Amino acid sequence: MQKQITMPQLRDEMKSGVFCAWLKEEGQPYKKGEPIFEIETDKVVNQITASEDGVLLRKLVEEGDEVTVNAPVADVEAR
Amino acid sequence: MIYIETGSTDVYYNFGLEYYFTAEKKLPEPVFLFWRTTPTLMIGKYQNTLEEINKKYVDAHNIHIVRRLSGGGTIYTDPGGWQFSFITQGDSDSIQFQQYLTPVLDALQGMGIPAEFNGRNDLTVEGKKFSGNAQYKLAGATVHHGSLLFDTNIEQMVASTTVDEYKILSKSIKSVHDRVTNLTEHLEAPMTAEEFKQRMVTAILNGGSVYQVTEADDRRIRQLAAEHFDNWDKKFGASPKFSMERQGRFAGGRFRVNLNVQQGKIADIAFSGDFFSAIDMDLVRDRLIGCPYRKDAVAEVLRRYAGADGVYGITLDEMVDTIVE
Repeated sequence: MQKQITMPQLRDEMKSGVFCAWLKEEGQPYKKGEPIFEIETDKVVNQITASEDGVLLRKLVEEGDEVTVNAPVADVEAR
Repeated sequence: MIYIETGSTDVYYNFGLEYYFTAEKKLPEPVFLFWRTTPTLMIGKYQNTLEEINKKYVDAHNIHIVRRLSGGGTIYTDPGGWQFSFITQGDSDSIQFQQYLTPVLDALQGMGIPAEFNGRNDLTVEGKKFSGNAQYKLAGATVHHGSLLFDTNIEQMVASTTVDEYKILSKSIKSVHDRVTNLTEHLEAPMTAEEFKQRMVTAILNGGSVYQVTEADDRRIRQLAAEHFDNWDKKFGASPKFSMERQGRFAGGRFRVNLNVQQGKIADIAFSGDFFSAIDMDLVRDRLIGCPYRKDAVAEVLRRYAGADGVYGITLDEMVDTIVE
């Protein structure tokens, strides 16, 4: 089933985060618990892990982009 | 809580030790470190090193450069300041600063310093910052580390982070320049840096235990320091991609360079200006693409393809210096 992954909110005050790095490429499958991308907010670098198995279909943001909380960052196929 | 004395002022070793007790040797309780460094600029994980440092000044004063694994901006550290690290095992997605800063604040207030938490990441006294804090997650653990300005050379701090006015564009995390103060200015009675450390460690450890680094730990820490911190790829190469314009005026005219750097290598470069060249600058350009954005590597390419007097009135060294600081 096709889904979107969004920018998570890591603390109540967080409005947006900097999307720092992709850790998977388009077309690449991943397992639940594997890190997919890395963000930075409030001087904290955090790897965001997959909540279920899937495939990264399309990157919707670029490294370095400031992304608001809950905005989509990738289209994925959940398995 | 377990305290570990790093026994070193080498920033690479100390970050190697922090990494080791985060990702490899996982102790059963939270780990606490209190350490300092020789003069060093610590760059945030997603910063562009060349945008943050005064390279000439840094080279001339033998200031180390290190890329932290945590976020935020560049800080200057020296033997007049202290760093602290808390390593907590176990996953947590939410961000907490208060739990790490409370014991530090309590210890400072115990010495009569009216320190406050500014609500985000910093500690202040009388409205001026003396402590910046950042975090990273690695191998299922959270590392919180922070700096304490005790008697740091503020003049050197400012000089080493005042960047030349070259035009650099990137999507990197930018540093914020705050009003800062040293804690020595806020003590009730004078205290040496060592006394300060002892009092802080005793108060924060609060009866916890101490772990001694073994020879086997030490060997692995040195490997991790070299692999993850003390190398050009981490210090410069790991910067986000950036574009830059630099120029110089020489006897032979104006020499301007526009370049894009990705993963520490020249991705594209163009020369312009009113200089007269006897060599094929397109060939030089082609040979520079893919070259590490590092002085020795650029000089090698120019020596080979531009020759000693390829450009009238501009020396090879002048060209190299214009391309890369």
